[in-house]
Amino acid sequence: MTLDPRSPNDSAASSEDSGEVVELPNATRATDIALDELELVYAFIYARVGNRADAEDLTQQVAMKAIPRLRQGAPASAIRGYLFATARSVLGAFWSTRLGLSQAELHEDLAMAVPQGPPSDESAERARRILAGLSDNYRRVLELRFLHGYSLKEVAAEMRSTVGAVKVMQLRALRAAAKVDPDA
Amino acid sequence: MPEQPENRIARIVEDLLHGRRLRLRAGDAEEKEAIIAAARLAAARSGPQRMSPAFRRRLAQILDSAPREPRLTRRAALVAGLGVAAGALAGGIVGRELASSPAPLPLSASSPVVPRNGRWTDVGALADFSEGQGKLVRAGAVGAFVFRRGETVTAVSSMCSHLPCELWWESGSSLLECPCHPVSFTYDGKPSSPSYTLPDLNEVKARVTAAGRVEVLGT
Repeated sequence: MTLDPRSPNDSAASSEDSGEVVELPNATRATDIALDELELVYAFIYARVGNRADAEDLTQQVAMKAIPRLRQGAPASAIRGYLFATARSVLGAFWSTRLGLSQAELHEDLAMAVPQGPPSDESAERARRILAGLSDNYRRVLELRFLHGYSLKEVAAEMRSTVGAVKVMQLRALRAAAKVDPDA
Repeated sequence: MPEQPENRIARIVEDLLHGRRLRLRAGDAEEKEAIIAAARLAAARSGPQRMSPAFRRRLAQILDSAPREPRLTRRAALVAGLGVAAGALAGGIVGRELASSPAPLPLSASSPVVPRNGRWTDVGALADFSEGQGKLVRAGAVGAFVFRRGETVTAVSSMCSHLPCELWWESGSSLLECPCHPVSFTYDGKPSSPSYTLPDLNEVKARVTAAGRVEVLGT
């Protein structure tokens, strides 16, 4: 089995346009197609949880839920749609259980469009737009922390402040970042 | 004493920037927007991600070895109801997979669930709790298993310390079982199997009032 995924455009997306049913000649072929689709799911989930361990756990959950559907030789568009619907459900459960909230209380924007191609830098572009919507100090502290990897101490030195003040500013900047609509 | 929110968020950001798993607790809900924003910014920093070859192989094994006609068990139905059916449709496969590739998890000490502005919630009379038997209760957003020991009670979080699945009490083995992977926990939140290392369950504050009522600190 190849470890280098084919472009989803080579397999699933081309069938999506015609609504053609993907015939799965054998189990290995089905697994390869599923893995290519799950590659998109992984990128989608990673962009929302920000770490590999949680992204792998959640992608595995999506895969396990989707096994029967993947086996049925459903249209590629249906497979991808089902995988992303499952991913949204799994992500919602992840945040709600980790934070002790009901999903009704969780207002996370999970209604993202289903990606049509390989992982892109969509999340980086969204982050740039979010940072651009912040005041100078908030943008600076988040850029130094998240984009440049500065420690709190280094940020404090750079901004001629204290570590305590930077922690407070970081919290307020993140609260403000959550309110910026990157699609506006 | 609850941790100041700026310190708590600083720890979470530190974990994210070092590529570590999100270790959240119920009290973090008040800063959910900030935490979600931090996770997304951390993801943006590392750019678009692909699965590691090792993880891709593991997924391929799972897909290849899943049963042809998976049946939904009661256990699976419980998990599916939570919307987090981690392997519920082929629970045995998940068990084998996780057991055969026990990726070491970053262990963290159990910490009590102390919601900011938390409040004590009445969850029943002490007489309603059987000696040594776990009983699932809700205190707002906090789910907990309460255990009676004589005239006192203890409680642990009802959520597994690894996958986001709600545990259930298995009276036969006197253990809290996780529906998502092959682990169980004792009444005091300790993993029962030394071969599958996980953090302890978070402690939940519980008490018995002078009137003989059981209260749990929730939201």
